[in-house]
Amino acid sequence: MINALVYELRRIRSVRATWIVSALYLASVVAFGALPLYLGSHEVGSAFIQSWKGLYNTPANFFSVVLLSVIAAQSFGHEYRYGTIRLTLSEFPKRERVLIAKTLVLAVYVVVMHFVAWSALGLVGKFAPSGSLNAGAEGFTFNGGAPADLWKVLVYGLAYCLIAFSVAAITRNLALGIVIPLVFASVLEGLINGISTLVHDRLRWLVDILPISNGQSWLSASKELPHAGLVFSIWVVGLLMIATFMFARRDA
Amino acid sequence: MRIDVHNLDKKFKSTHAVKDLSFTVEPGRVTGFLGPNGSGKSTTMRLMLGLDSGSGETLYNGKVLTAHDPITKTIGAHLDAKFFHPKRTAHAHLKMLAAESRVSNERIDEVLELVGLESVARKRPGGFSLGMAQRLGLAGAILAEPQVLMLDEPANGLDPQSIQWLRDFLKYYASLGRSVFVSSHLLNEMQLLADDLVVIARGELIASESMPAFLARSKGSSVHIRTPQLEKLQSALRAEGIGVEASGATGLVAMNTTTDHVGDLAFRAGVQLSELTAHTASLEDVFLQLTEGQQDYQVGGSSAESEAVASIDGGAL
Repeated sequence: MINALVYELRRIRSVRATWIVSALYLASVVAFGALPLYLGSHEVGSAFIQSWKGLYNTPANFFSVVLLSVIAAQSFGHEYRYGTIRLTLSEFPKRERVLIAKTLVLAVYVVVMHFVAWSALGLVGKFAPSGSLNAGAEGFTFNGGAPADLWKVLVYGLAYCLIAFSVAAITRNLALGIVIPLVFASVLEGLINGISTLVHDRLRWLVDILPISNGQSWLSASKELPHAGLVFSIWVVGLLMIATFMFARRDA
Repeated sequence: MRIDVHNLDKKFKSTHAVKDLSFTVEPGRVTGFLGPNGSGKSTTMRLMLGLDSGSGETLYNGKVLTAHDPITKTIGAHLDAKFFHPKRTAHAHLKMLAAESRVSNERIDEVLELVGLESVARKRPGGFSLGMAQRLGLAGAILAEPQVLMLDEPANGLDPQSIQWLRDFLKYYASLGRSVFVSSHLLNEMQLLADDLVVIARGELIASESMPAFLARSKGSSVHIRTPQLEKLQSALRAEGIGVEASGATGLVAMNTTTDHVGDLAFRAGVQLSELTAHTASLEDVFLQLTEGQQDYQVGGSSAESEAVASIDGGAL
């Protein structure tokens, strides 16, 4: 198992795309974190006065999470795109080891990136213009809703990445691993929500089980979707199980 | 390490790609794997490596592959020249592959030097030629000095010098008591390289035997004779049931016999011989005879151009 972890670590480290996407992710987090501090209204009573908690919620903004998911989709996407999956499975015929190694390395990567992002945001906050960060304010997030606890930010980021990871493994396609969750989150779920409102909530049952909406609802502790955490978990675990099953059973 | 392949079978939706295939690859020998395009060679190799699912089993020294640890000390496979990330340097590619058996950096450098890629070790292989890509693939396969080398068309894209080097290397590798299982379409090259052959067509086993035994299957082995006593020798040969064809004014071709036999007959008949030459069929001849009509993707057709091509090659196509 250790060898499979080393293999995956070397695989992820030795591709320039990993470093470029990671740098873009950090840049996006810093930019989204700094934007309201430098350009926002800091008048007392304004709804958009940022707090430290709000600032540390920046990694959960949709754009940055999607960037992070590119690395997740690459775990399988690159392997199938360039045929290296056959080399990988020639070395590790026990496929569950490969899957566990990829999942663990991705999890460690996401955790490390969150801690690096939070450290960078700490610096952003430290050098923020006077009055732009108000410890007493509730703060805000780019997803809407009140800032969440940091462990939830981390879990949300990891869960979204696992969705991209699973979709790439199921479709054996890097682009689809990135695009399918993205389209769900940014287009389809909003559309279904809008249609449901138009038809007097007759599609409410469908809205209640949408993956990303439930994830964001869980993150922001919104009461709009019942069982948001449970539904989101079922999606993440369900997709991961399908990916595991298909990876183990299909021809390489 | 001996490889025993038992009853490998693989079906795709409407295609029976590999049909109940069984053969053995012996240690210390180079075993060639031949078959027309689409005959199931690559699928068989993937089944042997556990990359594809099917029925049957492949045993490496009596054990399934997953029972060996580390795997890369057991088998090194090179299935396609382009199995690498184009932006990962050649060295980093091998470093990644080295993880399973913890191969040292020195060994990576050594292997890169062996295949002649040391000068491009830190370059990205996206721009490599097919020949360079083949070398990188081979480097990955031999990295951990496995007991079995499995190579799918490793000579494709190599220049003549590299092909000669590859032949010598594979023979040397087998001489260390290791097994080399290699597929190739370059039949002349295979004739120089392989000790044993496994031949399949449409997923079925045609032959699994030593190279001399395979060549002996030829229907075209003949003896070329020149003699001033043409008619006397012709009668003697026919009396023994040997097929004879005329070849010029003083020549004969005796079919499916040996020089010893013809020489003996000529001596007993009191016929003077001025030439006695054995014409042994090449691997290509025998392969084409045995796989005739078994290609899934046949060339030629009935156009005038195809007929003209066939007439040049004596109809071999």
